[in-house]
Amino acid sequence: MTHGQPILRLERVTKRFGGMTAIDDLSFDVKRGSRTALIGPNGAGKTTVFNIVTGAVPIDAGRVFVDGVDISRVASRRRIAHGVARSFQNVRLMPHLTTLENVMVGQHCRNAGLFGVLQPVNLWPRNRWRDTAHAALTEAGLDQYAGATVKNLPYGVQKRVEVVRAMMAKPRLLLLDEPAAGLNSAETEALKSLLERICANDSVTLLVVEHDMHFVGALCDEVIVLDFGRKIAEGTPAEIRTNARVQEIYLGTPVIDATERRHAARSA
Amino acid sequence: MIGQQIINGLMLGSVYAMVAVALTLSIGVLNFLNFSIPGLFMIAGMSTWALIHAGVPWPLAILAALAITTAVSLVVERFTWRWLRGAEHFVPLVSSMAFLLMFEHLAIAWWGSEMRVLPPLFAGTDWRIAGFVISLPQLAGLMVSIASIWGLSALLKRTSLGRGLRTIAEDSDTALLLGIDIGRIVPIVFALAGLFAAIAGVLFAINYRQVQPFMGEAVGLKGISAMIVGGMGNTWGAIAGGLIIGIAEVLSVGYVGANFVDISVFGLLLLILFIRPTGLFAGLPAGRSGI
Amino acid sequence: MSGYLEGVLVLLAVNIVFAYGAFLPVAAGQLNLGLAGFGAIGAYASAFLSNTYGVTPVLAIMLGGIAAGLIALVVAVPVLRTRGIYLALATFALGQIVQATLLNLEVVGGAAGYPVTPFIRLPTIALFTAGVVLVVALLFATRFGIAVTAVHDDERVAELMGLDVRAFQIAAFTLGSIIAGIGGGLYAHHFSFIEAQYFNIGLSITIVLYVLLGGTQTVLGPLIGAVVFTLLPEILRGSANWRYVLFAAAVIVLMALRPQGLLTGEQIRRLLGLDRHGPRRADVAREPAA
Repeated sequence: MTHGQPILRLERVTKRFGGMTAIDDLSFDVKRGSRTALIGPNGAGKTTVFNIVTGAVPIDAGRVFVDGVDISRVASRRRIAHGVARSFQNVRLMPHLTTLENVMVGQHCRNAGLFGVLQPVNLWPRNRWRDTAHAALTEAGLDQYAGATVKNLPYGVQKRVEVVRAMMAKPRLLLLDEPAAGLNSAETEALKSLLERICANDSVTLLVVEHDMHFVGALCDEVIVLDFGRKIAEGTPAEIRTNARVQEIYLGTPVIDATERRHAARSA
Repeated sequence: MIGQQIINGLMLGSVYAMVAVALTLSIGVLNFLNFSIPGLFMIAGMSTWALIHAGVPWPLAILAALAITTAVSLVVERFTWRWLRGAEHFVPLVSSMAFLLMFEHLAIAWWGSEMRVLPPLFAGTDWRIAGFVISLPQLAGLMVSIASIWGLSALLKRTSLGRGLRTIAEDSDTALLLGIDIGRIVPIVFALAGLFAAIAGVLFAINYRQVQPFMGEAVGLKGISAMIVGGMGNTWGAIAGGLIIGIAEVLSVGYVGANFVDISVFGLLLLILFIRPTGLFAGLPAGRSGI
Repeated sequence: MSGYLEGVLVLLAVNIVFAYGAFLPVAAGQLNLGLAGFGAIGAYASAFLSNTYGVTPVLAIMLGGIAAGLIALVVAVPVLRTRGIYLALATFALGQIVQATLLNLEVVGGAAGYPVTPFIRLPTIALFTAGVVLVVALLFATRFGIAVTAVHDDERVAELMGLDVRAFQIAAFTLGSIIAGIGGGLYAHHFSFIEAQYFNIGLSITIVLYVLLGGTQTVLGPLIGAVVFTLLPEILRGSANWRYVLFAAAVIVLMALRPQGLLTGEQIRRLLGLDRHGPRRADVAREPAA
């Protein structure tokens, strides 16, 4: 894998749900080692992009490349082994597992197979997989919650646990779906420092769907803007902030109505 | 000969169909597989016997059995549905299974586990039509089944209650938005389901004249098969499924031997679940579907 | 040991084994309403082997379990393609088919039942039971336990995390059936007579219910459920029928008040001091700034 290659490439991807086209001939690259934000109004197709990359939904046209490998037809179960892990908009931790065990679910793809499945991770006090998971929680400042039942934890903590779980898979591309949603400022700060720690080396690329522009501005170095399933603009946060078309989409000048916006998107 | 079999099959099938309709109402409207319905079937059948045995004139016994069973169904509603909305999804199913167990063992405790025989109520009233023999109970049974189903269908199509039921079956959220009072409709669904199970139980008792505490398992569970064969959540499918299974069972007994009845019926069920879980007559998605 | 006490303990031991047979699929999110059918396969297969070929009962019982497991494996693939209600119904149909088939199998007695000659006593049975409990407990202490619970909680996310959801479901279903088969074999070789009518849907329902009663989130739950179900009526000295009535009533009440069952993982963790973040601790609601 050459270093100049994008970690993620969407090539003319189209996805239709019934009569509705969610993603329309979309192409974009995510630079390796970057922290890229994927923004756009509601319904722009951002979560659909995530679902496509993780394989949760099949695509109707186009191709998806992760680190140069065409994964368009790879089963969703195998994509985590290709280096793609994600977190979810509404936190989706397993309610019947402890925090530590939830994090260990993330290790599964590296510990699969009969031998891996029969690893006595909960039998002895020390086990290297458990220790690794515990260390990850400690590094994230969350080790006090290790034995806790996840549904009783504060929302901000749960969101960070999800990120740690995703990181256990040692992904090269980490997809975060609205990680800051529903967090207060203290929790958002904690999340941001966790993510910055994760990206400290260049081995992990972040692709973040977010509405919180403050968060995006503080964390990300690249922004891709979608509307109606098409790419409208891309660039640094500063460039995007001053992009006229993006401003139209978000600030919504009364003159421009939905059909005109769609028309503008089509000619992007 | 085969014509006679078919008539007998229709009779048996209409009993299965009634049970299937009862189950379908619960699944279609409430997405709830109600395992207590075979138990209600048994209660109706055994109460009919018990009341007649105690000297109650048969029309009264039948009415009382229907009333008792419907009342019990409302009790089941209170303990499976009323308290448990929002709890884990399997809870109503599990509670309904517990009710089935409870009914069976209460019946054993009260009436003993032996088979009970009803006296022949309409002896010597067989008719011969075109070489077929139809007994009065059989004819009455068929007519009652047809009337009940016609009544249900009219209820569903032409009354506001029926419209409410169909709306809930399609989309309970929309139903709420439309102001349909689900809380008041649910007991009605249970009452209707109980009534149909009761009619089936009474018909069975009158026609086949044998009842025992586990009769719900044998017949009620074939009703479940009928429901699936016909299409989950689809009342007309349930009826068709019941008739198909009834005829198949009678023909099976006639040609293949009584032993293989269960195997063929449940084998058919299994096959359909594998190949076409939505049943033979569904054009509707599996699970929630219109009535 | 009095004959009566031995009888009760044997029943307890067999019920515990059946309980773990139901527990395995439930832990993976599936309801096996055909459990009694797999018990029947184990019972009849082991009885046939020990009656006809003189196989020693211990070996016959294990082979009976394997027979049940093989059949489970064969049907698991199509059956587990169904979900929810359909799965429950498919397993129910399976149980009925097994029962009906055995009723017609003259070589093992058909409807008249099948007497079993070799006889085993409490110590052997208790060893089998202890073995089953140990194996399941050990299994759930491995990554298998975490994976199965993950599959139970959230199939889609488990899939995205790289777990082979179907494989785990099939494994849980098959293992549960093997255990149920062993339970059937134990029953056959102590009560010396088996009939297909015994292994009916009522039995499947009863077992599933007392597993749910005990609590499905922890490996100890089935043990508790079986103990409560078997021993409480002995203490209350009711007749067999009233035992079922009370049991059913208890399940209904429990489902209304505490659907997660008597024993939950959360409770155990709290008792052991491993979980200090229960809902009672209001001061954990806001965490300090990082």
